[in-house]
Amino acid sequence: MWQALHEELEPLGLSVVTVALDLDPDKARPWIERAAPTHPSLVDSDHRIDELLGISNVPMAVWIDETGTLVRPAEGASIQPSPFAAMEITDEMPDRLQAVLREFKQMPETGPAYRAAIVDWANRGADSPYAMSPDEVVAASQPRSADHSRAAACFELGVAAERRGDHPAAMAWWKQAHALFPENWTYKRQAWTLESTPDGADSDRAQEVQDSYGTSWSDEFLATGGANYTVLPKL
Amino acid sequence: MVDRTLDHQPQTIGRPTSPETLLAWNSGTMLLDSLDLTADAFADATGWIAKPEGMCKGDVCVPVPTAFDADGMLDVTAVAERLGMALVADDEAGVWALGPDSGGRALTTATVPPIELPDIDGNPFNLAAMHGRKVLLVAWASW
Repeated sequence: MWQALHEELEPLGLSVVTVALDLDPDKARPWIERAAPTHPSLVDSDHRIDELLGISNVPMAVWIDETGTLVRPAEGASIQPSPFAAMEITDEMPDRLQAVLREFKQMPETGPAYRAAIVDWANRGADSPYAMSPDEVVAASQPRSADHSRAAACFELGVAAERRGDHPAAMAWWKQAHALFPENWTYKRQAWTLESTPDGADSDRAQEVQDSYGTSWSDEFLATGGANYTVLPKL
Repeated sequence: MVDRTLDHQPQTIGRPTSPETLLAWNSGTMLLDSLDLTADAFADATGWIAKPEGMCKGDVCVPVPTAFDADGMLDVTAVAERLGMALVADDEAGVWALGPDSGGRALTTATVPPIELPDIDGNPFNLAAMHGRKVLLVAWASW
């Protein structure tokens, strides 16, 4: 998907750069090998760009101009209609799946408009109505509270604990991070995936982690609501 | 107060200048095994540069009268409090984590901070190499 966009817009002077937020880079490897990207494809195993750029879920993106200046802040970066929103809900489906799909249908469909905005910016640069001024970018970035700062510190202490092999300590730090900044799904999903994804398996997006975190992705997605799941681009 | 002005702009967050103190760095989020931190290391890790008028990032300067102790070392606790950076101790591991500045927005400036990250084979890539092109930087994950 990102490779196709890169190929389309590269002649216009735009490059896609993808960054995988994976504590274990090997989890990202099969996805990267399948996509065979010709654009820079990076791995951020410390979640540095969470705080650097205000990333709080995936996929999210920022726009950077030719001078290294942000012209759009971190925002949800769907570029195609959600396949989940299009899925027909049937009585045969488990109740939980029906509920999740109903919430996906509540999510405003921004993919095609966001993609069109990227293409417009690639063509027109600073003349594109979607490219913001520096002041607008800062003002449009998400608020950052003292709790968010504390959450980032706790998440980092969790990463350090995990790296020295103390998983229980890592979980304790990550639970604090989740409580302090519940809107940051990268902190939650990164931690949950270590419990829910068997070694070597690709991904378990249901992330049922009742035993370890007393929750699950679907519990929290339903509580949050599809409409609030990501930072919607204001186009 | 010890006035000091750092002439250099930090070039990258890829390597701190005091590796013995800075165990890891994460824009705002730094992992420290000591609170003895030089202003240079702090600037490299956070983008906040010590200047006579205070701690500065982009166009923003925050006065911190007690930024330096008697030995000229950065008073991390005082600076952290003034910039809204959470300083959290892991007593068991003997490390501290310092969160990003807060109280405002996620971005302090529209200038992209120095970002150097590896590709899947571990080769470092500096985002500055993309200067002169537009970049759509997309965060994704396997999970």
